[in-house]
Amino acid sequence: MKRTVLMFVISALVLATLGLWALKGHLAGNILEIVQAGIVLLVVGFAVFLGLSRLRSHRLGEPGEDELSKTVMTKASSLAYYVSIYLWLFVMYISDKTTLEAHTLVGAGIAGMAVVFVLCWLGVKLFGMKNA
Amino acid sequence: MHNRIKELRAGRDLSQLELAQKVGVRRETIVFLEKGKYNPSLRLAHVIAKYFGLAIESVFLFADEADTAPAEPAA
Repeated sequence: MKRTVLMFVISALVLATLGLWALKGHLAGNILEIVQAGIVLLVVGFAVFLGLSRLRSHRLGEPGEDELSKTVMTKASSLAYYVSIYLWLFVMYISDKTTLEAHTLVGAGIAGMAVVFVLCWLGVKLFGMKNA
Repeated sequence: MHNRIKELRAGRDLSQLELAQKVGVRRETIVFLEKGKYNPSLRLAHVIAKYFGLAIESVFLFADEADTAPAEPAA
């Protein structure tokens, strides 16, 4: 339960930071920053979804986490790590061919890793782990 | 690996949620097991088989045994 509450607190802090960032006018018409904000919202949405799912389990008298949910996380993490290596290779490849600054590329790489993890988690959930 | 969880659960008129609560997992785990999308740990397989009063090999069957294995209660 503590971990679930912590997930909601961290999500709220991230949203508050994003709100302050938007208030400073960073989102006004800049496509790249709108995409970054969208990715942050996607990751926060994912965390909130997991938190709500755990709350529902508590309400139904189930454990918040069991061997399947832990295995899904482990499998999704390992798959995301593997895919992220290629993502960073791609970022290195385009770094010479673009005028984007280094911090923008690093930010895009980190945001890409978050998206890759969410996609891997969805994939593992959708296709299961017959031979895990 | 195949399993007979759905059949055994139906035989006892249990919902997926009830079985999940009895064996200490989330309902989603029972859904994954019944659909064959997840192979349980030995511990969970043991807990489920024990709940139904059967041996593990009577509940969880390898693909080549699925059509031939008898459903025997645990001794």
